[in-house]
Amino acid sequence: MMTLTTERLTLRPPSPADVPALTEFYRSERSQYAGGNVPHSKAWSNAVAMLGHWQVRGYGLWAVTETGDDTALGLVGPYFPDGRPETELGWVLFAVAEGRGIAQEAALAARADARSRLGWTEIVSYIDARNTRSIALAERLGAVADADAAQPKPDDPCLIFRHPADAGGTA
Amino acid sequence: MTGVTLHIPTLTTERLSLRAPRPEDAAAYGAFLESPRSAGVGGPFKASDAFDRMCNTVGHWHLRGYGRWIIADRETDAALGICGPYCPETWPEPEIAWTVFGGAEGRGIAFEAVSVARRWAYETLGWDRPISLIIDGNTRSFALAERLGCRQDGIYESPLYGAMQVWRHPARAEVLV
Repeated sequence: MMTLTTERLTLRPPSPADVPALTEFYRSERSQYAGGNVPHSKAWSNAVAMLGHWQVRGYGLWAVTETGDDTALGLVGPYFPDGRPETELGWVLFAVAEGRGIAQEAALAARADARSRLGWTEIVSYIDARNTRSIALAERLGAVADADAAQPKPDDPCLIFRHPADAGGTA
Repeated sequence: MTGVTLHIPTLTTERLSLRAPRPEDAAAYGAFLESPRSAGVGGPFKASDAFDRMCNTVGHWHLRGYGRWIIADRETDAALGICGPYCPETWPEPEIAWTVFGGAEGRGIAFEAVSVARRWAYETLGWDRPISLIIDGNTRSFALAERLGCRQDGIYESPLYGAMQVWRHPARAEVLV
């Protein structure tokens, strides 16, 4: 199984064992700016689609775990649904992972892998303007709001953060 | 070079190939989702939902070990619909599901596809008398269920789609002849 490792974390493809926690996330208010806060059946569909993205594209959001404990703390990684204007670095973090820099550590590794292994050059993150936590993370990653970038859903505009071309980001 | 190896078998019939979804199928699926035809499965939806739904379809295979195929024209590979064994978490029990896109109508394609998908579920998964859930008013699907030998077996109140008719497929001995 393909994995990425950082100082504290192991990123691995999501597995069926992650579906319950991910479904709970998409049912919770925590996911309101990430296509969630939806009924059970829809939340489950969202969760399972994250597994499927790996099969359809050959990559997807990684399950983020602390090395030595396989429990997923969230998902971070390359995401590219059909029809999107640009390739995206996406993330969803469960409440338990909050406040320890885990998302940032994972996102830096996932972004570097997207550049080196997938050959991605332009990488953006689509973020709801009310999602202050995600905006703060994008900024810590060195990404900058790009008002001229094409909207993925023109009828429902979001903020588009463009990631730096180099390793970028502050520790 | 995916992180996970998943095998989705391909089934073939005289005219059709039942195969794993591919990104190229999103256009045909999206056109169906935003068309009035999708009222029969709870639509209309946004065409842009197609890719997510295909990811869900493939993820279902990963999670359950079975799932729905794209019904493709065996010669052109064009996507004509979706069918196969299906069991979302909130479903009352596993079902044989089907959806046929516009343009594939009236040629017995759904019957041909669902018949071979159902046989696979019986033979490979050991299913017996599964259900098919059909939204009230979807008369085309009622007719197909009857042609497949199903009998109506109550109503399921879906939190998403409202009242759905439960159709029950025949016993193994009748299907695996």
